[in-house]
Amino acid sequence: MLTVGDKFPAFALTAVNGTDPKSAFAPVSNESYAGKWLVLFAWPKDFTFVCPTEIVGFDEIAGEFRDRDAQLLGLSIDSEFVHLAWRQSRVDLGKVSFPWLADIRRELSDALGILDRQEGVALRATFIVDPQGVIRFVSANDLSVGRNPQEVLRVLDALQTDELCPCNWQKGEETLKAA
Amino acid sequence: MTIDAIKEALPDYAKDLRLNLSSLLSDGVLTEQQRWGTLLATALAARNLALIAAISAEAAQHLAPPAIAAAKAAASIMAMNNIYYRFTHLASDPDYATMPARLRMNVIANPGVDKADFELWSLAVSAINGCGRCIDAHDQVLRKAGVSREAIQQAVRIASVIHAVAATLDGEASLAA
Repeated sequence: MLTVGDKFPAFALTAVNGTDPKSAFAPVSNESYAGKWLVLFAWPKDFTFVCPTEIVGFDEIAGEFRDRDAQLLGLSIDSEFVHLAWRQSRVDLGKVSFPWLADIRRELSDALGILDRQEGVALRATFIVDPQGVIRFVSANDLSVGRNPQEVLRVLDALQTDELCPCNWQKGEETLKAA
Repeated sequence: MTIDAIKEALPDYAKDLRLNLSSLLSDGVLTEQQRWGTLLATALAARNLALIAAISAEAAQHLAPPAIAAAKAAASIMAMNNIYYRFTHLASDPDYATMPARLRMNVIANPGVDKADFELWSLAVSAINGCGRCIDAHDQVLRKAGVSREAIQQAVRIASVIHAVAATLDGEASLAA
């Protein structure tokens, strides 16, 4: 599995956002959100049990991610039509405001190293990627254990919080160089 | 209120401030953006409502919107950092300075204007908020960026007079109430 410090793989997938087949599909690549952080979380299969609570949990705090210039992206190896059908099947999923990637060829999941060896579907893995495309946080749960979106937000916040003010200077040290 | 009205509102015992304020509105050492950003940031730091309104109205004629936002950001973020880092500098226990602050201050990395100008405004606000080591740190950064002592001093002269005008107007307002 890729880890902190690795470059997030290049990808170009169909993503689903919304419930109208005429407008829900759009291509998404790693260039689509230039300048932003990415918070990508993968799940094993659409239409299963643990996933909806997590997805809805992330959506409930989507505004907090947006405020922090972070784009949420969902991912499973299901096709875009399965994603669409799942969104259409439940009101809470239909409202979810961020795109779900359809990694149907398993290319991105494979490049990330998150395919479960037995089941061939994505583990519940979460990646935080900085605007330079570098992975800064990785976590992976076994297939049946859900995630805590607040914890992911906490980590994103911590990653973004740097002591940038020269006021932090201690006597005798070199001054900080602004990045 | 306009800046002229502010000058009119200053009582005769504060005639020195009236004249100082006039001369600080133009100088030969700061750029227009530096001068008006300093006036705006220090007016915000000095906290008198009428002065903030007057300076802000006139600054809008001299500063592009990104510079206005940046000057406000400098006053705003330094209001936090001056307290936090003044504490770490003053506390007898040095360990506080090593604990991660966990305070977001990303606007410092991307102020939306030339970083040296943002630093100048931050220094001027630090002078008003009274954080000594903040002043030293910002001074070092500014000298390294090629800003002259004269320019830095001019920014502090602005801060001093703006603070005094604010204090005087506050006093007069309480006496009138």
